[in-house]
Amino acid sequence: MSEEQEGQGPNSQPNQENSQNPQNPQWQQNPQGSQGFNRPNPNNPFPPYGGGFGGMQMALPNATIVLVLGILSIVTCCCFYGVVGLVLGIVALILSRKDKQNYLANMSYYTLSSYKNLNAGRVCAIIGLILSGIILLLCVLFAIFFGFSTLTDEEAIRQMLKELQ
Amino acid sequence: MPVVFFLLLVGEGSGVTHWLEKHLLSCPFKTFTGIDCPGCGLQRSFVALLKGDVWMSFKFYPATLPILALFIFTILHLKFDFKNGAFLIKGMYIFATVIIVTNYLYKIYHHQLF
Repeated sequence: MSEEQEGQGPNSQPNQENSQNPQNPQWQQNPQGSQGFNRPNPNNPFPPYGGGFGGMQMALPNATIVLVLGILSIVTCCCFYGVVGLVLGIVALILSRKDKQNYLANMSYYTLSSYKNLNAGRVCAIIGLILSGIILLLCVLFAIFFGFSTLTDEEAIRQMLKELQ
Repeated sequence: MPVVFFLLLVGEGSGVTHWLEKHLLSCPFKTFTGIDCPGCGLQRSFVALLKGDVWMSFKFYPATLPILALFIFTILHLKFDFKNGAFLIKGMYIFATVIIVTNYLYKIYHHQLF
């Protein structure tokens, strides 16, 4: 293992060339990604750590949390005028953004399944965010158009809705 | 221990189900305006499901069963790591969302809200 790490030194120049390779567009998206032995070389049959050759791969640290928050954001989308769902969705998106950058920077460190979980959580969070955003917007529009006093009075609302029909 | 829990659930006029029925959280939107929000009915539906009445549960809130299935599948997936688990979770989530939105639109259309 240590020999491979040291052997990575002279290889750093070809790595740079590989990063310009159009076959690996994900490295171009992350030019600020980690340098040196952290950067997996797709053409290297013996990646420094892991990489499918029996090495230990970690799960992304936030993948589970993002998935759970994303799913909870749909259940709580209507609690307190959509605010709870909105907060959960935003938190999930922020957490997932960091982990996604981490994964794309060094793919061989993390398991693919946790990345899939992360992406599923992201999709769930986005849907929950949109839904709770719509509900919050509707509440705000309602309050603006008909006044907050109307909102807190059940009879006034009934009256108003009857007039609308 | 599971037997005790089951007895707690089943007991009529007492036990967990009865307690839940008497302690439903009230939705602030509904208490203020008297209009249902898209999540209204979830608790009643869940209690009906605990009583074993699937049809009443579906009538109160059709999305309860898909949401529960989604929860259970997510827990299993996080524990056992199925191969296409993430994809299935995404699909079930979108399915549940579509049901929630359709249910609310249906309620608006049939004037069940006000």
